[in-house]
Amino acid sequence: MSGARLPEGFGDLERYCDTWGLHTTRERHAVRCGSTMEEIRDFYDAMTDRAAEACDLIDSYALDSLPPQVNNLMALVLGLAQAHVAVEIHGQPRAPGTPWPNSLKIVRGLPMLG
Amino acid sequence: MNVNTMAKPFAGVTTFTQSCGLGTAPVPLEPYRSAAFFERERTQVFERAWLVAGRVEEIPNYGDYITVNLLPGNVPAIINRGKDGTVRAFYNTCSHRGSQVLDAGAGNAKRIVCPYHAWTYAADGDVVSIPDEPSFFNVDKKACGLSRMSVDVWEGWIFVNLQKQPEVGLQEFLGTFADRLAGVPYVAADRPIVLQADLDANWKVVQDAFIESYHIPAIHKKTIAETFSSDENKFARLLDARVFGPHRTVSMYGNPAMSIDPAHKVTMLAYASGDTGSLISAGTSAQMDAFLRHDAVNPTGSDCWSMDVNNIFPNTQIDFGPGGFWVHQFWPLTENTSRYEVKFYVPEPLTARQRLQQEMYVARVIEVVLEDLANVARTQRGIDSGGNDFMQIQDSEVGIRHSMDQLLKWVDAPSVTEALR
Repeated sequence: MSGARLPEGFGDLERYCDTWGLHTTRERHAVRCGSTMEEIRDFYDAMTDRAAEACDLIDSYALDSLPPQVNNLMALVLGLAQAHVAVEIHGQPRAPGTPWPNSLKIVRGLPMLG
Repeated sequence: MNVNTMAKPFAGVTTFTQSCGLGTAPVPLEPYRSAAFFERERTQVFERAWLVAGRVEEIPNYGDYITVNLLPGNVPAIINRGKDGTVRAFYNTCSHRGSQVLDAGAGNAKRIVCPYHAWTYAADGDVVSIPDEPSFFNVDKKACGLSRMSVDVWEGWIFVNLQKQPEVGLQEFLGTFADRLAGVPYVAADRPIVLQADLDANWKVVQDAFIESYHIPAIHKKTIAETFSSDENKFARLLDARVFGPHRTVSMYGNPAMSIDPAHKVTMLAYASGDTGSLISAGTSAQMDAFLRHDAVNPTGSDCWSMDVNNIFPNTQIDFGPGGFWVHQFWPLTENTSRYEVKFYVPEPLTARQRLQQEMYVARVIEVVLEDLANVARTQRGIDSGGNDFMQIQDSEVGIRHSMDQLLKWVDAPSVTEALR
C-alpha cells in the first residue's frame, strides 16, 4: 500500500504514529505525561501484542539505516518505554508528587529516535 | 586505606563517619541559604578549584570544540582540539571588542571567526587575520590571541581552572584520588545522553540527594527502591565510604534478589533475551569485564552492590554501576537555585530489543531524577523557613558531612594549598 506509514501488516497501529510513535524521546515522554491511564493502557495493550513481531521485523534491517516505515515502527516500539513507566512502574501516568510540566530538558537524546 | 569488613553485613550500625576521620556533630544549614556564603563559595571554591568541563571524546578531531558556561560566575569558555592534537581552553571573548566568538553549542571550527567584525583565530587561539588591519594603530597581533584559560586532562576528563595561574596543578588537586581511579575504562564515553534542569534549590541540596542511599526506600519507592534495599538492609546502609582529601567514594548496597514480574510485558520483551541483570550495560561483556574488575569499581567486591559514588570536589560526581558509568554535575546559580546536569553513556544498540532496553533505561532515569527534583525544592523551602539551623546526619549520609567539612575549609582557607592540607 503506497503512502502507508508502517510496514505491511502493522497498519492498525497507524493511529498511534502521531503520539506514541513521535520521533524524539522528549515528545514521547510528553505524550505519556499528558495522557490518561486509559489512553496509556489502550496503546500498551495494542502495542505489546505486536511488539515481538515488530522487533523481529526491524531486526531484519540494519538498525542504523531503517527504511522510513520501519523507522516509524521502531518509534512505536520505543513508545512502549514510556507506556511501561506508567503501567509497570507507577500504576498512574506520572511519578507521584512530581510536577508536569517541569524544567527537566533532554539536551541530547540517544542518536537514533532519541 | 580504611577497610571496613563486617562479618555479618548490616547486623549492626556502620562506622564510616569515624573511619573517614569526621566529627559527629550536627551540620550547619546556613551554607544552604546564605547569600554571603554563596559569594564566598563562588570566589573561594569555584574560582580556585579545578572543575570538570567535559571529556576528550567530545572533541576527538582537529577543530572540534564545545562551549561551556562556568557557573556561578557565568564565565563562557571554549574547549577545543588544535592541529597539534592538544586540548586547549579559552575565554569565549574576542580580543577586539569583547564579543563572544562562538555561540553556545558544539561543532568544528579550524578557524574561529568572530561574528561581530570577522576577526579570525586559529584553533590554537592565535589571531590569523584582522580585517582592515592598516586602520588599527600598530596592533600587536601576537598579543591579540584568544585569552587562554587554564586547562588539563586526566584520564580523559577535561578540567579547567579560573585562576590565571592555578596555585596547584591538577595532579596535586586530585591527589591520591587520581591513583585510585587510574585506568578505569570509561565505556561508551563517546555516546552521552544529556539531561539538564534548573532547580529551586541550593546546589548542595541537590548534590546531597545523590550521595546518600538512605532516602531511596522512601522517595524512590517504586522506581529503584527494590534495587537499593532489601529485608536484610531495609535502610540501604552503605557498603563502604572513603575520603581522599576533598574527594570521596561511597559504595552502595544493591539487592541481588530483584526479579522481573512476568506480567510486565515490556520489561519481559526487552530483557528476555538479554544476559544483563542490571537495567542496562554500557558495553560488550569484555569491555564491561575490564571495567567491573577495576579495584575502584565495587571496591568491597560485594555480591550485594548497586553503585559507587565518586565525588570530585566541588561539584562533579562520577557514578559506577554494574552497567557502566554516568556523571552528575551540580552548578550554583544563586544561594537557592542551581543547574543540574546528568550524562549517561550507552553503547550503539544492535537489535530493536536492545534499543528498547536503552529507551526504558532513559525513561526510568528521568522518573528517578524527577522524584529527586520535586524533593530538593521541598527541602530548600524547609531550609529557607529558618526553623532549624542544623541538620542531623547519620552514618549513611557521611558523604554530606564530608562535603560540608571540605567546603567550610575552602571558603576560609587563604590559599588552595592550605585548603588541601
